[in-house]
Amino acid sequence: MSRIAAPKAAPVSKRDPRTGVVQSQDDVCPVCKSARYMNPSLRFLVNPECYHKMCESCVDRIFSHGPAACPIKGCGRTLRKHRFREQTFEDIKVEREVDIRKKVGATFNRREEDFETLLAFNDYLNDVEDITFNLINGIDLEETNKKFEAYTRAHGKEIEENAQMAVQERQSFSAAQKLERQQARERREAARREEEEEKREVEENRRDVLNRLASGADAETVAKEGQRVQLKKRMDRQAATERQRQLQAAEDTQSERNGRFIIKGLRTKQKPEPEAPVDPFGGLRLVDSYFTLQDDYIWEGIQEASKDIKQTAGGYDVRDYAHRSLVAAFSGLGVFVADEMTQRGQLAQNDCAVSESVGFKDAEMISAS
Amino acid sequence: MTQHLNEDDLYRTSSQYRLWSFSPESLATLRRKTHELAITRASQYAPKSKSSLWQDGTAVDCLNAEECLRLVQRYLDQVRTTSDHFKWPVPVKATAAQYLARFYLSNSPLTYPPKEIYKTVLFLACKTEATHMTLSEYARRISTPADEVLAPEYKVMQALRFTLDVRQPYRGLKGVLMELLNLAEGRVGEVECVETGGAKALQAEMLALEVPARTAQTMWSAKAAGKIESKDVMDRINAAYSAARTILDGPALLTDAYFLFTPSQILLAALHLADEPLTSFYLRTKLPLDSDLRPKILTTIAACAELLASFSGSHILSKDERAALEQKLEGCRDPSTRDLVGSHAVAKRGGDGGEEAEEKARKKKAAREKHLKEGDDLFGPSLNGKG
Repeated sequence: MSRIAAPKAAPVSKRDPRTGVVQSQDDVCPVCKSARYMNPSLRFLVNPECYHKMCESCVDRIFSHGPAACPIKGCGRTLRKHRFREQTFEDIKVEREVDIRKKVGATFNRREEDFETLLAFNDYLNDVEDITFNLINGIDLEETNKKFEAYTRAHGKEIEENAQMAVQERQSFSAAQKLERQQARERREAARREEEEEKREVEENRRDVLNRLASGADAETVAKEGQRVQLKKRMDRQAATERQRQLQAAEDTQSERNGRFIIKGLRTKQKPEPEAPVDPFGGLRLVDSYFTLQDDYIWEGIQEASKDIKQTAGGYDVRDYAHRSLVAAFSGLGVFVADEMTQRGQLAQNDCAVSESVGFKDAEMISAS
Repeated sequence: MTQHLNEDDLYRTSSQYRLWSFSPESLATLRRKTHELAITRASQYAPKSKSSLWQDGTAVDCLNAEECLRLVQRYLDQVRTTSDHFKWPVPVKATAAQYLARFYLSNSPLTYPPKEIYKTVLFLACKTEATHMTLSEYARRISTPADEVLAPEYKVMQALRFTLDVRQPYRGLKGVLMELLNLAEGRVGEVECVETGGAKALQAEMLALEVPARTAQTMWSAKAAGKIESKDVMDRINAAYSAARTILDGPALLTDAYFLFTPSQILLAALHLADEPLTSFYLRTKLPLDSDLRPKILTTIAACAELLASFSGSHILSKDERAALEQKLEGCRDPSTRDLVGSHAVAKRGGDGGEEAEEKARKKKAAREKHLKEGDDLFGPSLNGKG
């Protein structure tokens, strides 16, 4: 045959079975110009600093001894080996944008329920998108970076808290999913077991009937009995499954109510309670129930004291004395000592506590309850 | 959330209500128990086989409960007279008497004879009621060594369970006096739920009050001729006040009134004894007729008045009787409490051997003086004892 016959051309591009990345034979490393044709296991890495791609061997060669400048002409940024990674998206621009969004999203992580009005939330989202847009397209970078840093400084703690909350939510969500899967598995198992049981029972019944027939019992009665037994067993099993299903339904509704899928909205606005004035008596009020204080008492003690400069100079009000005397006059008028003490003694007896006060020499001090 | 307290609730917070109020039965039980315990102790320090106190297993020559009570009462009176001798205000008197009475609820005269205790109690009362006199002055005027006054003080405090407040009726009585005088003048402070008919009606009622009975303790007597004017009513009120005050000064302190009744009830009972119609009139303006507390309050006041009236001055021991009882007591008292001063000193020092402590104190004092002397030296203290 003629040698000029063109060899069958190998496919130009195919998908890498492991990573799913489209690889074409024409992939050439911009630094060392090695092609995949020569080494089929060529892998390209990209650095998020400048998003220039180069082959793995170049990365090893250039950056193994520490940070160095990017070898691509025109880009002199210092790159580090550990920041090189495999490109996730075909389009490098998308990769860059996704990285920027991730960075912005890590800082600006407030949620809808942190805001009281929809307008506030939308304003926040708008601001975040502005910043992202500026960063992606390189508009007003200085200003944008300043805003970024200002926000980080101002809300450092909140950012952390929100991040932690997000982590916890993710964990609880995955735990709930696992639980659900486990439950589904168990239910499947139970169903399979049920079927096996049924089959086994039917077999047993048939064998039982045959045995009975063989031992010479009446055919009809045996058949009827066998049917009855089978029916009963089926009914029992059905009842059991019904009960099981009901229980399961109850559990399900409960777990749903526990809120696996609660849709959270804006935070409800809570007006702060106005501070109550300080109450020096802590809620206690003395009520005069047996008397009403009058403005003036004609008793000479009061009259003299109210005119005596020594008493009034310090701001002392004679009515305080009158009030105090009257409180003392009626304090305990409605207290019936005998009854209340016997009542207390009975209560103490019921509690098996002895309430006696005995002196030093004569007995041990037993303290009252 | 406001909590409203009325005057009764206030009284219920006091230590007098919580710890020192009894029903008659529990009071008697308590005293009996104390006495029995003291007698049991007596069998330890005066064993049955040896001492002459015992006969047929019962303590014959010991003071019995009745005699103990009367001895304590005698010293309550003694406290009163001593306080008057010092011209101290009346709260001191009442407080001291109450301290003594409370002390002897939980201790027996067999263990602590009242002769050694009453001076301490009076001194404690004068400190509590803010009429403090220095110990040296007090000891001098009462002709007792200062140590003896101080020695039982801690035991007294323990027996009082460290509650030193005694609620007294004197200030309340003044309050009632003020209100009565105002009522006579035609002014009234209306109380809720009480139907009075107004100030004028009350004043007229006062003028028309019936005369106090002959047995009443007030000195006032109705004028033979002529209408009663408001000035007469005021005289009547003042006379009732002084009579009530005398009762509070005497029988109230010498009986168990403070243990069984509240100060308010005691003062109204004293007024009741002094001038019954006046008191009933007054209570009518205070307690609503349909309240269910009213009959109970009135019966309590009546019971207290009975208690106060049943006391008579002749009930107190005379000097000879007291001397006789004290001699008997001398024979049967607890010997371990004889030297109160010594045990107090030991307790103060911390209870270690007296001699060692004295040695240490002396050495410390010597070292301190030496240090002072060296400090005063013109060229400073010596260096390591050389040069």
